[in-house]
Amino acid sequence: MSETCMKDLAGKVLFNLEVAEDFYLLRLAVPQIAEGVVPGQFVEVKVSSNFSPFLRIPLSICKTDPALGTIDLLYEDLGPKSRALSLQQPGCEIAVLGPLGNGFKVTEGDRTAMLVGGGIGIPPLLFLAGELRRAGRQVVLLVGARNGKKHLPDNLLNAAAGEIRKATDDGSAGHHGLVTDLLTEKLTGGKRFSVYTCGPHAMMAAVTAICKGHRIPCQASLEEYMACGFGVCVGCVVELRPPENETFSSPYLQYSRICIDGPVFDAHRVCW
Amino acid sequence: MAELGVQIAGVVFDNPVLLASGTCGYGQEFAPLIELGRIGGLVSKTITPTPRAGNPPPRIVETPAGMLNSIGLQNPGLEGFVREKWPFLAQLDTQVVVNIAAPTAEEHGEMAARLDELEGIAALEVNISSPNMKDGGMLFGCNPAASAAVIAAVRQATRLPVIAKLTPNVTDIAEIARAVESAGADAISLINTLLGMAIDIKKKRPILANVTGGLSGPAIKPVALALTWKVRQAVQLPLIGIGGIATAGDALEFIIAGATMIQVGTAGFVNPNAGMEIVAGMQSYCAEQGIDNIASLIGSLEV
Repeated sequence: MSETCMKDLAGKVLFNLEVAEDFYLLRLAVPQIAEGVVPGQFVEVKVSSNFSPFLRIPLSICKTDPALGTIDLLYEDLGPKSRALSLQQPGCEIAVLGPLGNGFKVTEGDRTAMLVGGGIGIPPLLFLAGELRRAGRQVVLLVGARNGKKHLPDNLLNAAAGEIRKATDDGSAGHHGLVTDLLTEKLTGGKRFSVYTCGPHAMMAAVTAICKGHRIPCQASLEEYMACGFGVCVGCVVELRPPENETFSSPYLQYSRICIDGPVFDAHRVCW
Repeated sequence: MAELGVQIAGVVFDNPVLLASGTCGYGQEFAPLIELGRIGGLVSKTITPTPRAGNPPPRIVETPAGMLNSIGLQNPGLEGFVREKWPFLAQLDTQVVVNIAAPTAEEHGEMAARLDELEGIAALEVNISSPNMKDGGMLFGCNPAASAAVIAAVRQATRLPVIAKLTPNVTDIAEIARAVESAGADAISLINTLLGMAIDIKKKRPILANVTGGLSGPAIKPVALALTWKVRQAVQLPLIGIGGIATAGDALEFIIAGATMIQVGTAGFVNPNAGMEIVAGMQSYCAEQGIDNIASLIGSLEV
């Protein structure tokens, strides 16, 4: 269950701006969520008052300001639902259900945290980075994108981490290649760190495989089609392996719900 | 305040609104979110004789004014339910209907006999209508004789009221309704989801891993309403209307068409308060219309 009890609340749009190509930053005034939320948790936002689009859109929280009672959501305009959300103007009120799911667990002891994100997987990592830095950790953020225009602006990224490395598929910004190349490069340094990842499935699978090879812990925040976001529809599942040296007592346990049992999982238990 | 309480087979529900099976789990997730005591009851997610893993993902996809699902009856099995889920349901301040499915008529009967031993179940709803069960569900519900055999087996095994949940994916739902009535059902709930499909045109692959799934949501309400009306004319049993109900107005349409109760399903995914809002909306409607007892509205359709 969630760290704090979820509620269906009205969030007031403070701004809703395009910050990179097709990427929007939405700030909502919704104090009851801003207070208790932890990095990795998400909200379900209702983008329409009628039945089209019908389901809510699940969005990770990328920043909160408990004093001002605001949460920030970053989303990519990918389809009708995100398009409808991008049209919401300041002053509008929209229904926000949250906070939902379980956040990242900060591993004790590691001085350095390596955050590996791609595409629209960045938002929860920005929130996590801020919390880790407040806890006195060194934070390195490795960010992958298709091209330079798809990278979030530096003012959003720089605030989050002490060191930021970018990769693009086309070489238009930072390393020409995959973000996992940057992770492999960092690992050759021999320094100990924990890895936290969020992004496309293939990227997270590759990050997990690299971490496994180096025997380092890795937490992944997963995504899947979601209907309810609070556990009742059992639609957004992931197949997990049983914990080491254990077996599942029932086939019922083979699939876990991403929304309520996750979205953050021990990446080494995920059947990628 | 109008009287919203209704009875089915002697069981009293405070109002005609139930949360539909498969959309409210086993109560735990909704309990902190809404006041379950303010709705008539909930129908727990289908249980089968033994635990099931369910289908691989993707299990759901959004469609116009609705969604497809192919969860595949992921559930802890009968004994897992009795041990892990029932104690929580039993202490809820609302009526609990338990939904069951099995691969054979005999196993349906065995499940009913076991559940008969528990204290506090309001009724059993028999899922002879899931489009996602390869060894039961809709396989029974498409055939009048097979539907009747399952309902007869359950009827003989329990004192609890028996509700047959019907599929719309048949040529003549009235024929199935008459078959379950003759077999001893106390009520009929309808409809389960409509068989549906969605395709990713770039990959040329179905979006659901199971290829097909069940369509639910506001898109199916007119279909559900027409079938409720059709079954109303075919049998004497009380009906429970299901299918795309999202507002009090939707619910009242089913009651006017002849349903004694209604179930709210997919709407609760988008608006967890939908059930409570429907109860409140029914109360307002009765006040506006000068109706003292919602029972007087059941089947009041004039054609």
